[in-house]
Amino acid sequence: MMTLDTPSSSSSSSSSLLISRKDAHIVMGYLHYERMKLAIKLARYALDHNETPVACIFIHEPTNSVIAYGLNATNHSLTGVAHAEFMGIEQIKNLVGPHHLMDFFKDVVLYVTVEPCIMCASALKQLNIKKVVFGCANERFGGNGTVLHINKDKALLNAPSLPKAESASYEAIPGILRKEAIMLLRYFYVRENKSAVTPRNKAERNLDKETFPDLIWSTYIDRETFIQEFGSAQSIHYENNSDLMSFNDDIDWSLIETPWDDIVEDLNEKCQSFNMIQRKKSKLETV
Amino acid sequence: MVKKVNNPLKIDFQKCIIEGRLQQILPKHITSEPELINIWTIDINPQDSKYFIAFIRRNIKETDPISLLHLKRIQKNPNDKSLLKLILCSVEYIADREDIIKLLESIEKKTPNGNVEKIQYTNLNKDLKVPKEPPITRELINEWSKKFWPMVWNGNPNDQILNDYIIDMDSIRGKLDIISKQSQSLAKSNEIPVVSLFVNPLDPLNHILSIDQRNSTSGCQLDHSIMNGIKKVAEDEVKRRKLEQEAKESNNYREKTYLCLNFDVYTTHEPCSMCSMALIHSRIKRLIFIKPMEVTGSLRPESGHGYCMHANKNLNSKYEVFQWIGDEYPVGSVENYTCC
Ligand SMILES: [Zn+2]
Ligand SMILES: [Zn+2]
Repeated sequence: MMTLDTPSSSSSSSSSLLISRKDAHIVMGYLHYERMKLAIKLARYALDHNETPVACIFIHEPTNSVIAYGLNATNHSLTGVAHAEFMGIEQIKNLVGPHHLMDFFKDVVLYVTVEPCIMCASALKQLNIKKVVFGCANERFGGNGTVLHINKDKALLNAPSLPKAESASYEAIPGILRKEAIMLLRYFYVRENKSAVTPRNKAERNLDKETFPDLIWSTYIDRETFIQEFGSAQSIHYENNSDLMSFNDDIDWSLIETPWDDIVEDLNEKCQSFNMIQRKKSKLETV
Repeated sequence: MVKKVNNPLKIDFQKCIIEGRLQQILPKHITSEPELINIWTIDINPQDSKYFIAFIRRNIKETDPISLLHLKRIQKNPNDKSLLKLILCSVEYIADREDIIKLLESIEKKTPNGNVEKIQYTNLNKDLKVPKEPPITRELINEWSKKFWPMVWNGNPNDQILNDYIIDMDSIRGKLDIISKQSQSLAKSNEIPVVSLFVNPLDPLNHILSIDQRNSTSGCQLDHSIMNGIKKVAEDEVKRRKLEQEAKESNNYREKTYLCLNFDVYTTHEPCSMCSMALIHSRIKRLIFIKPMEVTGSLRPESGHGYCMHANKNLNSKYEVFQWIGDEYPVGSVENYTCC
């Protein structure tokens, strides 16, 4: 099993992966799953700390490094806008400085367990993020296709702050560890509803471990993007609105039923080692 | 609910303008095809209807997320004239058959000899489809009543909405004056002249003023005035709760501020998609803006992609929006691609 480690060790492990698996799409798919696993573990951590199980990690793509992470804090903070994405953005702001965010974000990919809401989708767009990868749809507020298509809209088309026209629009790839993300949300709602006065309906009261809504790929990406991302061998899933099989044929129960108490510490270490490399690099540049 | 003729405000119901200044911002409705929803119905004996009506008033009317006030609650059963057909609630409110049955079991009636007994009903189902919202013309209401279920004509529903707005023109003018002056002074010093003001209904005299800080030393691309205001409201509430804790003897306790629940927000420029959605998350009551943003605005149907974020029917919560259409309150200008 490949794990995401410090940038130096991860580059060697991903190149050995390239040799053992010839199909670049499999490598990409594998990377997507490995990175999303970290986000899922963090979401499970949030669940164990009485927060909505939504979490994310930010990857600096050129170095394949974790640079920031976030979990939802809307219950603990007193605002309705303390979403996981904003916590990560704040960390990156501390890393590169507030005025270099856009230049930095063009190399950043976000892995988030639940589709960003309209507010976060817009924030990520204004920061010129490279790409978003998410687990399950955000049925109520999704801003990457479910409710609105903020990532593809033309509101920033003429902004001179962006390197080139249209570069602010980004692809948002759904479906990575989707069922795991849905199950974590179900755990949360079942728990919430136990304390509710009037039971709303059965589906919310009893934990459903079997049925999942279809994944309507075309709501989020076109066929071409799908094939670019996952290869034509998988395209049957685009047609069938089904989950990708090779990595995700069954739910990874151990991933979502284990409390990952050390995950925050792990992620802090990963972020710090990227931070050190950044500092060394900028020192070299100034010498 | 005041009668239209008694409303002291001058309202143009055709153009949806209050006092010649406040333009109500609404999505463009396509109302000829109604959005249909399923509702729970039962058949009952006519003499029991009063118990059901009382029950609905007590347990359902206020809590059902779908207002069914545009529908006649009780009708003669078309198949059996001796029975009445009654609308209980929306399926969105209660989805489960068992839950409905449990709820109905709680209805009791007193018989003439003083006994309490359970009430009878038949034919519980959720097959009936009805329009989720009333149409805006009388012609449509007749058509829909025939097609789906008898409906009540209360006039153009938006007329009632306009009439029911609680508007204090003097207070609004005062707030707009504050943000307008602040905006002009920012423009003079070459700052981004976008300003917002948050008014807490629990503490209306201590408004919170916030400005756009994306160009400040510690600010980033996302530090729009609305986002800054929302954060400031939370910070102030944290401080207030701490002070309240410390001064336990004092008796000026106040209800806790929850998010920006029922706040009025005043802003110089029409907000972007991030900010307009942040206001949904924050549960504000009303936003008034001065300058429309044609490319990046997310409230007017003519702005940007016509998101009408405050009244988007795919989002389950809403806020009121007005644009001030007078020229009394000038604001600094920003480039049209700027997200505000
Ligand atoms: Zn969000
Ligand atoms: Zn904004």
